[in-house]
Amino acid sequence: MKYFVPLLITAATVVLIAIAWVNSGGMERERMRSSRTPEEAVRLLLTQAQARNWDRARALLANSSDVEKSALIADLAGSNGSLLTFANLENFDLWPLHKTDREASMRVKLHYSTAVGPLEDVRDLKVLHEGEAWRVVWPTTTATKVAPQVIPVNYLRWDIINRGAEDDWGVQNVDSPQVRILSMNALQRLDRIVIVGEVVNEDTVPAYVNVGATLLRPDGSTFAQESSFDKVSHTLLPKQVSPYRIDFPEARMNQVKSVRMDVKSLLVAASADPVIEVSDQRLQTDALGKKVLLGQLLNQSGQVVNIPHVVAAYYDDSGKVIWVSDGYVDQALLPQIPVPFAVDLPDDVAPKVHNYHVSVNYFNVNRS
Amino acid sequence: MMRLAFNVLIILALAVGAYFALRPAVMADGSARKVELNAENLGPRSIEDLTEKSITRDYGLAWQTMAAALRENRRELLDGYFTGIAKATLAEQIADQKNSGIRVRYTDQGHKLEAVFYSPSGDAMQLRDRAQLEVEIVDGDKVVQREDVTLNYLVLMTPGADRWLVRDLQTTAAEVRP
Amino acid sequence: MRLLLASVLIPFSLLICGAAAELRGPAQVTAGNPVSLASTGTGSGKGTFYLTGPGQASKRTVTLGDEIQVHGDEVEHAGRYTAVVCDGRKCAATHFFVRAAEPAKVSLLVHPSRVRVAQPNAISAVAFVFDKFRNLVLSPAQVDFKASPKQGPAVSQTRPTQNGVTWIRLTSATKEGPAKIGASLGKASELRVVQQVASEACNLRIKPEWNAGKFFVETEPVRDCNGNAVSDGTVVSFTKVDASGKTTVDAPIKRGVARVEMPIKGSAKILVASGVVTGNELSVEGRQ
Repeated sequence: MKYFVPLLITAATVVLIAIAWVNSGGMERERMRSSRTPEEAVRLLLTQAQARNWDRARALLANSSDVEKSALIADLAGSNGSLLTFANLENFDLWPLHKTDREASMRVKLHYSTAVGPLEDVRDLKVLHEGEAWRVVWPTTTATKVAPQVIPVNYLRWDIINRGAEDDWGVQNVDSPQVRILSMNALQRLDRIVIVGEVVNEDTVPAYVNVGATLLRPDGSTFAQESSFDKVSHTLLPKQVSPYRIDFPEARMNQVKSVRMDVKSLLVAASADPVIEVSDQRLQTDALGKKVLLGQLLNQSGQVVNIPHVVAAYYDDSGKVIWVSDGYVDQALLPQIPVPFAVDLPDDVAPKVHNYHVSVNYFNVNRS
Repeated sequence: MMRLAFNVLIILALAVGAYFALRPAVMADGSARKVELNAENLGPRSIEDLTEKSITRDYGLAWQTMAAALRENRRELLDGYFTGIAKATLAEQIADQKNSGIRVRYTDQGHKLEAVFYSPSGDAMQLRDRAQLEVEIVDGDKVVQREDVTLNYLVLMTPGADRWLVRDLQTTAAEVRP
Repeated sequence: MRLLLASVLIPFSLLICGAAAELRGPAQVTAGNPVSLASTGTGSGKGTFYLTGPGQASKRTVTLGDEIQVHGDEVEHAGRYTAVVCDGRKCAATHFFVRAAEPAKVSLLVHPSRVRVAQPNAISAVAFVFDKFRNLVLSPAQVDFKASPKQGPAVSQTRPTQNGVTWIRLTSATKEGPAKIGASLGKASELRVVQQVASEACNLRIKPEWNAGKFFVETEPVRDCNGNAVSDGTVVSFTKVDASGKTTVDAPIKRGVARVEMPIKGSAKILVASGVVTGNELSVEGRQ
C-alpha cells in the first residue's frame, strides 16, 4: 500500500508526457522519419532546414557524403552576409513533376521573409527510393572560389565637410546635388496607378535620391502621395541614370487630374567602387511560366557586395519607359564570380518591350 | 444733501471722462495680427506665391512669439521664428528684463509690409514694416510708460527648414525707401 | 457758479497734473557713443531712470534735475530707445534713435557653391554691410566685388549699398577650377570659393583595344565642349550587344578616361553614353 501513491504518480506522469508528445506531433514525426513518399522526404528535409537543424537535414540526404554541411547552409540560409543570411524560411510549397518506383522529381517553391520583403526561390529536386525510404539528392555544385590576389582599388571616393554652427551666416554650405527627372509615364494597372520613369544626377558629386509623386484631383486637392521607396537606385554617381517606379494602390486614372513629381537629393559620401557588370541579359519565360529578365552580375572589384539589388527599366519602340521592375539577389557577389539574377515583368508588358536597361544598387553590411 | 450728492456725481463723471480722453479708445486684444504684404516693387528676384504667403504668415507669428517672449521673459519662445542678430538682441533684452524686473509689452495692432529686396538665389529678403503698436514699459505691476505709436522697421528674413525666420529687426528713424 | 467752476476746474487740474515734466535728449546718436539726457521740471531728490530699446531693459536710481548719462555700451544696438524718469508720482519720457556706426563687417552670400563653366549670370553675390556691433549700416557705402578665376585675370566691380545691401551677378569662367569671389569695404572683406566644373561630355568617343587576348573598350579623354576635362568619378555607361545577349557596365572615369573589359562572342555592337549624352558606336568581331 505504501508504494501505491508513488506508483500512481509515476504512471500519471508517464501518461501526461505521452499525451503531450502526441499532441506536439510526435507521432507524425515518427511517421515521417521513414519518408515513405517523395513528398514526405522533401517536406522532412525542408522542415529540418526551417528549424536550422543542419546535421539532421544533411543526414536525410541520399548523397550526404558528397554534400558539405557549409554548402548546404550556404544554399538554404545564405553566406557572406547575403540577403539570405538575414532571412527566415517561412514556408514552402511543393508539387511532383515526375515519379517512378525508383526516383522522382519534385518542384519546390521556398518562401523567405526578409527585411526587404518576401523572397521566393523555385528549385527542382531529385528524390531517390533507397530501401524503405525516399531521400533527396541535393545538387552538388563546385563553389567557385576567389583566387588569392591583389586587386588595386583606385576609383574616386567622395567625402563631405559641411559648414559648422560657428560659421558666419554668409558662409555657404555645399549645395545639394542637381538631379533631374528625365521622364515620367503614368500607367493604369488592374488595381493601382503606377508611375515609371528615369532620373539622372546632373551634378559632379554623388547624390542620394528619392523620387516622390502627388496625384491631384481635378479641384487641385491632393488625392494621394507616395514615393519610390526601393524601386530606384538611391545613390547616384555623377551622370548616373536610374529608373524609378511609384505605386499608388487602389487608385484609378479617372480620379486624378494631374501628377506633381518631386525629386529630393542629398549630398552623400560615396565611392565609385565597386563596378558591377551586368551580362547575358535576355527576356525569357521561367519554369513557372512568368516573363522574366535574366542575366548575370559580375563584381569587378575586390570587395564582397553583400546584398545586390537590381532595378530594370523597359522601353517600347519609341524609347518610352513602359515598366520598371526590381529584385534583390539572395547571394552575395564575390569578386570576379558571376551570379545569376532574374526580375519579372507583367505578361501584358513583355510583348511591348523593345529594349531594357539594368541598374545595380547594393547594400553592404560593413559600409565604409 | 441730495443736491450735494448730485454735484459730486457730476464732478466724478467729468473726471472719469477726462481720464479716458487721455487714453486710447481701443486696445487690441493682442491675438489677431493683421499683416499685409506688398511685393510690387520687389527685385531682383520675383516673389513666389508660396513665399509670399509664408512671409506674411511667419512674420505675423514672429511678432506674436516676440511679444510673448518679452511679456513672459521666456527666451525659448524666440527659437521658432527668430535667428541670428535679431534672436541674439531679443535674448539680450530678456536677460536685461530679468535682471532689472522691468518688461516691455507690445500690443500688436497690425503691420503693413513692403518687400524691398529679394536676393537672386532666394536666400534673403528685406522688408519695410510700418507697424501700429501699443508699447508699455512695466516695472513690476506699475505701468511706467504707455504709448500708441507707428514705428518703421527694416526687416531681414532668411529661409529656414520649413519657414522664414527674422534675422534682423531694426527700427528706423525715417521711412526706408526701396 | 461754484458748481460750474468745480466741474470744469477739477478735471482740468487732473489733466494738468497728468502731463509729464520733460526729459530731453538728442534725436539720433551713433551706436556705441554715450548719450546725455537733460531732465527738467521733475523736482529734486532721487528718481528712477528706465532705458529700453533693442537688447536693452535697465533701470537705475538717478538724481532728479541732473543730467542723466547713458553709457555707450547701453546703446550698441541700432533702433529706437525709450528713456523714462519717474519721481514716484509721475514720469517723463523721451525717445531717440541709434544709428549704425562705421562699416566694419561684410556678410557675403554667394550661390551656388558649384557651377558649370561658361554659364551666363550663373553666380550671384549679395553683400550686407554691418558695423562692429552687428547693426546693418543703412547709409550708402561702396562695396568692391572681385572675382578671381583659377586661370585668367580677376574681374572687379564696385556697387553702392541700399538699405545696407548690394548684389552682383557673374558669369562663370570657360575653364574649370575654383574661383574666388570676394567683397570688401575699407578693411572689411569676405571671400568665398565657387567650384566651376565641366559641362556635359562632348564628342564622347570609344575605341577598342585587344590586350593579351582580352578585349577592352576605352573612351578617349572625356571633355566638355570647352575642352575642360569631365571630372573623375563621372559615370560612363558601356553597352555591348552580341550573340550572348546584352551586357552593360557603368564605369566611372578615372584619370580622364573610362575603361572596361568586355568578353566578345562573335560580332558585337558597343555603345557608350554618359548621362543624356551618347557617343559613337563600335562594331567589333571577336577573336578565336
